[in-house]
Parts: sequence; C-alpha cells; structure tokens
Amino acid sequence: MDKVGLAGMAAASALGRGTEAQLAGALAGATAFTPVRRFDVRGHRVKQAATLPDAGSLSDELARAIEDACAAADLSTVDRSGCALMLAVHAHPDAPRKPGGRGLTAATLAAELVTRAGLGAAARVYTSACVSASSAVADAAALISTGRAERIVVAAGYLVESDQFALFDAGRTLATDGAVRPFSTGRSGFLLGDAVAAVVLESLAAIRKRGGVALARVVGWGRAGDAYHAVQPRPDGHGMARAISSALHRAGISAGELGYLNAHGTGTPFSDAAEAAALHRALGPAVRAVPVSSTKATHGHTLEASGLIELVITVLALRSGKLPVNAGFLAEDPACDLNLILAAPRPIHADHALTVNAAFGGANTALVVRTP
Amino acid sequence: MKVLARARWPEAQDRNLPQVPGFVLSSFNPLVAAAADRCLRRRFGDPPVPADVGERTAVIVVSGSGDAVSAEHVARAVDAGARVGPLFFFQSVPNSIAGHLAARWGLAGPVVCLCPTGDPMADGLAEAGLLIEDGDADRALVVLVEQSDVDESSAVLVGEGTPS
Repeated sequence: MDKVGLAGMAAASALGRGTEAQLAGALAGATAFTPVRRFDVRGHRVKQAATLPDAGSLSDELARAIEDACAAADLSTVDRSGCALMLAVHAHPDAPRKPGGRGLTAATLAAELVTRAGLGAAARVYTSACVSASSAVADAAALISTGRAERIVVAAGYLVESDQFALFDAGRTLATDGAVRPFSTGRSGFLLGDAVAAVVLESLAAIRKRGGVALARVVGWGRAGDAYHAVQPRPDGHGMARAISSALHRAGISAGELGYLNAHGTGTPFSDAAEAAALHRALGPAVRAVPVSSTKATHGHTLEASGLIELVITVLALRSGKLPVNAGFLAEDPACDLNLILAAPRPIHADHALTVNAAFGGANTALVVRTP
Repeated sequence: MKVLARARWPEAQDRNLPQVPGFVLSSFNPLVAAAADRCLRRRFGDPPVPADVGERTAVIVVSGSGDAVSAEHVARAVDAGARVGPLFFFQSVPNSIAGHLAARWGLAGPVVCLCPTGDPMADGLAEAGLLIEDGDADRALVVLVEQSDVDESSAVLVGEGTPS
C-alpha cells in the first residue's frame, strides 16, 4: 500500500492563509475565535466562530486552494489535464436561496472548479458531513494504490454561514464559553470554523517520473460505521476503533509506531468520551504512549473540510518534527484518559501519524501518513 | 459484485410514504428509508441483519440536490429571523438517515454520501465497488433519492452472493 504520495497541499483557515500559517497557529495553540460579523447572530445562544477575515466565496476559495496545491506540486498543464478532482462540501452554497436552486448541486460546483483549474474531470463529490474530506482521501488513496488512478486532487471547503450556524446553535452543540476544550473537563461543545484545503495525491512512481518530490506518503486508511444512532457516536467507540484498525493494518504498522494522533476532538462532552474509548480500544496499551491533540481548539470545527485541514496540519507537524498542542485544556477528564499534548509543542519521535474523523450517521475514518 | 436485492419507492400500490420518527417536514429522509427498508427486507426479512453480515455492509446515499426541502425551510427561517427547529439540526446532512438505517438494520460498514457527477447509480455502484475491493466492506446498500414533482427513491444491495 506504500505507493501514494502527497505531492502538494494548500490551506486557508482563520489561522491564516497558506500551510505555514496553519502549522504556526496549531503549534502555538492560537485560538482563532472571534464574534461573528459575517451574518446576524443576535438571536443565537452562541456568537463566536473562527472566520477568515478576507474570505471570498466558497467557489473562489476552493479554486485558489486547488491552484495553490497544483502549483506546490509543480504540476504542468498536461499533468493537470489528466488529473481528477474529488470534492468535499456540504452542498452548493447558493442552492437554498436562488430561484431554480435545486439545479445547483455540489457536483455543479465541482464541474466549475475542474474547468477553472484545468483538471480532467470531477471524479466524485462527497457530502458525508464531517468525514467528507477524509473519505475522499481514503478513496483517492485506494484508487492510486491499485493503479486505477495516477493522480487525484482532493479539495474540501466550509465557510461559516448563517444556516449551518443556526442549525448547530439550535442543536445546542456549540460551546457556550467561547472556547473549544477537546478532552478536557468543562468542555461544552465546538465552535465552527472556516477551512478550505486541497491536496495533490499521486503515485510515488508518477511523482518520481516527473521529477517531483513527495511531502509525505498516505500509507493507511480505514472507514467503518457505528450502526448505533442517526447522529450520536457509539459510546464504546467500536466503529471508530475498526476504522483505525483497518488503517493501521493497511499501513502495516502497529499502534506503537505512531508518533502522533490528530484527534477528531470536537470538545463535545459525549463525543470526546466516545472517541477516547475508541482510541483505547484500537491502540491498546500503546494509547499511553501516542501523543494526541485535537487542533479544532484552534481553527474550529470546519465540518466537511475537517478531514483535509487536519490532514494538512498532521503532515506539516510530521515534517516539522513538532506536534500541535491540545489547546483550551482546563483539567483531566477521567473519561478521556489520553496522552494529550499540553502546554507546549512536543517533538515527534516516529515517522507515522494518524488522523481520525467522525460524523453524523456513525461514520468514522482514519488516515495514516508517514514521512517521505 | 452482484445485485442481491433491489427496491423502489413508489412501487405499484404504494400511496402514503411512511414517516420516519425524528425526521420532519421533508420527504427526503422517508424516501431513503422506504426504498432501503424494502430492499433489505427482500434480502433479509425483518431487521436487524445477521451480525457478521451487518458488520461489513456499507451504506451509500446518492443525491444531487440532497434534502432541498429542509435546506430551503432553514434558509427561509434564517432570513426571516425566526427560530430554526432543533429537529432540522438532526436532519441537516444525509448521513443522519444513513445512520438511522445503519442502527435499525445493524449495518456497521462505511457510511458515505455522494452528490453524483454523472449517472447516480453508476456513481453509487462505483463507490460500492471501491469499498468492497478495498476491503472495508463485503456488501453495500446504495440508495438513490431525489425530491422533485414526483418524489422517488431506489435502493440496491450489492456484494458477493446469490441474488434474491
């Protein structure tokens, strides 16, 4: 399975524009939450989110991320023309308000992005909530590793907007104290955040052939369901544990070989406890040694983009040799007994890292990356 | 990969779409459930499916416009400054009804929702084939749904085995 390289990446979030801004913000544990000014939040319980001040439209931001990722990978016009796009978004942002908006779908957006970037085709469009992007990466890696595709751009985006904000506020899932506190006592929920990211996944042979350089390798991936509830995670973490086990199996490594785990860690009371149970179940005794952090405490919960912005940060951390802190932490919760990275970034002592995500519907994904 | 069972909503004699507890206003989620339940019953009888089967059965929901009725309702409420009902939070993404089905039938394979880039069934079957060939599932329930003048949905169960 060790055939898939990550040849280029790009990202923007409230931590800033560019990949280095993501790493700097995550390492510093800088929280990017501010009062929302993009739309009217006066009627809501919660009024904070992590927004990029100069964000353009979702379409423009995605086009920019794809362009930047392709440029970072040094793809030629010919390289791009044979490259498919996998897109992860909630929906076409204009659909609910435009007359005839039902004709505007996420696939419409993907087709527009393919044209703007000079890519070959929109291969698949994922609307799987918070595992959309990670599912796309897993599928792209599967296609490349088996020779069915040589190169795929995966792009994902969510920009905080009024409708999802209102829904999550109504669902009482947003943090009421203006901070996201993954795996900590006193955690009260998540806060939404902007993120747009793109990565170029490519066979290592193709990267070498065109004289490129892999930034990292995607060596393991897994997906599994909870079969438990429409929106709540299974408390014993069985589904996420199976996704992790599948990813480790594909990577051909044991849990003890992981040098970092970027957690889903939303800061939601029951969800973080279920995730901690999953990590104990999947990693066994190694859970005591694997450093863990959730970077949602810095950039917020970026919904459909979560899997990609967190993959980018995980790769950046691996390459830098420093691991992001689990910001927002107050005190240990016995239900979340993990080796959390607190206070300051830690050095990494291994070549592999794992990033996990979960979503409504009991959907779980796990991705293993390693240094090139 | 074979088609093990298939079903549609509506089929002959169908009149009233059965509601799904916890899901309101829109036909989207009941349409997914109606076709999926019928398809699974044709293969397995009453829920749940045998545990060893369910553990490796994926759920894939394919829809172009998604739950447009709910999305338009939420947009109108937001624009009017009205309160959004909490139940719309639960049905804000297609994963929710996929998770409802997965819980009801014991389907613990991957959960994937797609917006089709071409023929919806081709997209759904391609995803099912990928998950099965890649090893995270042995079977997949693929449900196609669109809300239009005539609401309709269809479901197929695919995998290895003898068709029902």
